[in-house]
Amino acid sequence: MATEKKRARHIAVISGKGGVGKSVITANLAAALSLFGRKILVVDADLGLANLDIILGIEPPHTIFDAIHRGLPVDEILFPTTKGFDLVPAGSSLPEGTLFTQGLASNVKALLASLEDRYDAIFFDVGAGIGDVVLFFASLAHEILLVVTPEPTSVMDAYATIKVLHHLHGRNEFLLVVNQANPDRSSQVGASIAGHLRNVISKYLESGDPIKIELVSSIPIDPMVPRAVKARRLLMETSPESPSAYLLNHLAGFLDTRIF
Amino acid sequence: MQDAGSNMQQTIAYALISAKISPELAIFCRISEGELTVPNTMSANNSENQKLNLNTALRILENAGRPDPRLASDDPDIQIQGVIDALCDLSIHDGLTGLVNATFFHAVLTREIERSLRTGRTCGLIVIDIDYFKSINDTYGHSTGDKVIQAVAAELKRSLRSMDTAARIGGEEFAVILPECAPEDAIHAATRIHSVLNPMTISVEENSLKLTTSAGLVWTNPNASSSSAELLSEADQEMYRAKRSGRGRLCYRYDDSTLISHQERSALMALPMEGSVDGH
Repeated sequence: MATEKKRARHIAVISGKGGVGKSVITANLAAALSLFGRKILVVDADLGLANLDIILGIEPPHTIFDAIHRGLPVDEILFPTTKGFDLVPAGSSLPEGTLFTQGLASNVKALLASLEDRYDAIFFDVGAGIGDVVLFFASLAHEILLVVTPEPTSVMDAYATIKVLHHLHGRNEFLLVVNQANPDRSSQVGASIAGHLRNVISKYLESGDPIKIELVSSIPIDPMVPRAVKARRLLMETSPESPSAYLLNHLAGFLDTRIF
Repeated sequence: MQDAGSNMQQTIAYALISAKISPELAIFCRISEGELTVPNTMSANNSENQKLNLNTALRILENAGRPDPRLASDDPDIQIQGVIDALCDLSIHDGLTGLVNATFFHAVLTREIERSLRTGRTCGLIVIDIDYFKSINDTYGHSTGDKVIQAVAAELKRSLRSMDTAARIGGEEFAVILPECAPEDAIHAATRIHSVLNPMTISVEENSLKLTTSAGLVWTNPNASSSSAELLSEADQEMYRAKRSGRGRLCYRYDDSTLISHQERSALMALPMEGSVDGH
């Protein structure tokens, strides 16, 4: 076991629509897995509009662009958080109008390859939309965690994300997290959204291989979440007893047994 | 002088874009000692701020025939605000038609391409070219040619949604940007505009002139970056295809493999929402 070379599992947290709680979920999962003893790296992959640093209440001196664009050594941009995991920050460093070129993409790949044997898992907190940066990180991921809320726009964007990833990258498996559901019946809401997505997918999307939508968590809307964000701390620190903190911890446990 | 003027127009246009097209351009421009300093934020190879002498600015505006009572004000603050407003207006509009000009068109299109990448929603781009324009010019003269261009521009203005942008991007070439427009909706819009313009009858003195236009329609790809010039060139290719296939036509290529159709949209919308939180 000790001699076996570690190769990190890559997990992309993706949503299509913005503001569905992706970064909060990523940060709490990473912190929980770190508590389980896993070595976790989080890459803020929302290049240009990153906000993990805000959620974590940190101000990292360097960003991923200092590495992939200016050639700074990777160890200088790695930011060890107080929550037990390391962060590759993005800042708001991608200047408006910058194209995500092949050159930049291969630099990101090289950067990740150099880090792979240090960690058990690398999370990509991917931005909104289904642009080229989002597709790039999704294409590197072993697992795709798709975050959706009960809002019709979020369901629509999640479907669009599945469609694009299926058509362009042949992805057939998605781990669905329903977030911000009605607290009284969050598990029913989760099941209903997952079922609905499966129906539309089987009607319009599946041509060959089946597309698997696995509902892995239904998290209720929780007033403690914005409070934690405001305090720039993690939910599991400010309200570890809250239902959503419990469910995030549970989801971390699921991932732990699923991917390692 | 002409060059300095058009350079300045470009600079102001860039400054406008970086100011998110805020009318409060003054925040971005430092004004002192009768000079206007415009930060050239969009230009990578020119980090120097550009300075424009007030007298030069006034001459540019006089040549462009943009009278504004504030330009003659005794109060330098009012005068300089008048200069800024008039230059902004001049820098983004085409004098003949009042549509936005090519520089500003590229700025808007660049922004919409970026929006499309973020939101995953497509933006449509129509390119329209007046058929046999050269022979209209040769037969009836340039002033008739100008009237034809103005008439097409007026029709375009009438048939757009408030969020759409129509531009004159070349002599007899126009472009329309349709932000956040699903492919089916863009086809619908382009077809409507095209049918209004084809054929179009314009009376010039005793003659009545019947003309047609060729049009090409393309979409942004929400999954890949491209520049405004690349997208425009794709639209041009569709427009040339329309020319080659007999003129007076609208051409586009519709590939729906990664786009969301109306049927899919309504199926998704049919999700029973009783499970969501009230008001959400």
